[in-house]
Amino acid sequence: MVRYARGGLPWLAPGIAFLLLIDLFPLAYAVVISLYSWWLVRPSETHLIGLGNYVGLVTDPQVAHDTAVSAVFMAGAVSLELVAGLFLAVVFAQRARVFDLVRPVILLPLFITPVVSGTMWRLMFHPDLGIVNYYLRRIGIAGPPWLSDPGLAMVALILLDAWRTIPFMFLVLHAGIVSQPHEFFEAAMVDGAGAWQTFWHITLPLLRYIMVVAVLIRAMDAFREFDIFYVLTSGGPGTATETIQMLNYRIFGFGRVGLASALSTLTLVLVAAMSLALLRLLARERAA
Amino acid sequence: MKRGVRAAGTALLAAAVLVWTLVPLFWMLSASVKTELQLYLRPPRWFVPPVWDSYRQVLFEVPFAQYFANSLAVAAGTTVGAMGLGALAAYGFSRFAFKGAATIRFLILMTRMVPRIALVVPYFLMMLRLGLLDTYTGLILAYVSFALPFTIWLMIGFFDEVPRDVEEAAFVDGCSRYRAFRDVVLPLAAPGLVVTGIFAFLLSWNEFLFALILSGVHSKTLPVVIAGFNTDVGPLYNEMSAAAVLVMIPTVILTLALQRHVVRGLTLGAVKG
Repeated sequence: MVRYARGGLPWLAPGIAFLLLIDLFPLAYAVVISLYSWWLVRPSETHLIGLGNYVGLVTDPQVAHDTAVSAVFMAGAVSLELVAGLFLAVVFAQRARVFDLVRPVILLPLFITPVVSGTMWRLMFHPDLGIVNYYLRRIGIAGPPWLSDPGLAMVALILLDAWRTIPFMFLVLHAGIVSQPHEFFEAAMVDGAGAWQTFWHITLPLLRYIMVVAVLIRAMDAFREFDIFYVLTSGGPGTATETIQMLNYRIFGFGRVGLASALSTLTLVLVAAMSLALLRLLARERAA
Repeated sequence: MKRGVRAAGTALLAAAVLVWTLVPLFWMLSASVKTELQLYLRPPRWFVPPVWDSYRQVLFEVPFAQYFANSLAVAAGTTVGAMGLGALAAYGFSRFAFKGAATIRFLILMTRMVPRIALVVPYFLMMLRLGLLDTYTGLILAYVSFALPFTIWLMIGFFDEVPRDVEEAAFVDGCSRYRAFRDVVLPLAAPGLVVTGIFAFLLSWNEFLFALILSGVHSKTLPVVIAGFNTDVGPLYNEMSAAAVLVMIPTVILTLALQRHVVRGLTLGAVKG
């Protein structure tokens, strides 16, 4: 589209001013707060301590533990969702009618309030009224106490997240596959390529850019996830499933706003570094 | 023969997908119409003659109507705010060339990556100082800033699809640029704007973290109420389910209305859906 050379600024100004004020200013403010020892209950004792909060956090084993929990959740959830989503997308790509039938249903988990989805899965995993363990026992497996076992609580969280966002991967990758040009596949068929070869040598390479986009979006969301942790495990048992976000919330709950802001700032730096790495990957994909 | 096997395989997989998606939903739905006793019956009862006590309890004992109104007011405010600011900015990006346009667009998108927990402490202190804690305004301001980046991005795409000739014709007729935007471009882009609005509404309706921290007795929204059922109250599983079902109903309706536009919305046009 040909664009007008002049007069764009007044249109942009309100939105950008709003974002600067409500998004960027608080971020800068957080950095300032993080340099203070600031306890909401004792406002008179607020004083500047420089990098003290950061030093405390970096040397705290709980922070290291919670970072690892966040990373495990992100890696586990996103890889499960990618594999399952890709599989479904490939299978349903050539079945437009079945796909149209399934689509309205698989859309639901994406937009149902996360807290509500967490509630559903609490009912599913409940030792007495849940059905997961009941049916496991029926096929001869003694149902484990999902939410009170440290390892299984993480599995339960990943399953819940998979329930919510496999549809995301599925739909995005499906859209990517059906928009691939037919000629490649016809040529491959003429050359006698099998289904697996076609997938491996044509579908997948053509899909790489979209896959990277989808993984980027999902990885960032999984890293920031808060709602389902709060509802399903509250970081428990103990602090076994406590992520950085949950820890941050806990510190804020104590009224330690300086310390909480320092952790926020660290998280932000971490996320920015991750985004940059992924974006670099994306730029390379686009060039390729 | 081989073809038949494959078709059966796909059908089976489709059935599995439906079961996996719908079972948790249905289990909660059935819990919401069960009595306390029926909840714990083994083998589990999938279908029971519905008992509406939990709904009565939730609707009349808990001030649920008030929370519902809170959620609705905040979501409506967010939608209006994000659409207003977003439409102006998106039109600017869609119609005008200027230095750094691509960079600014990209930076706007990047604000989406900011972990919300990083904003919540300074935001809490700001709202405390402005006296906006536990108000609709405080929540709406935050949610508009969350919704704005993707509203702008989505709407750029929708405005790009409106041919420029139409508004040029309006200029010839003596319309100002703003009038052409309001009376010609906006109506033509309306279907896309509705989609964008639904996304903004759902974002606000579903948001939990900021609501948990910024809202109180006067402005508590539904996700906070549901989470409260999960963590504070004892085993009121059927009431919790009933409340969750009531929160879910609008999301289901709006999702079904979105259908074909979902992929574009999810990836902001990185993948055309």
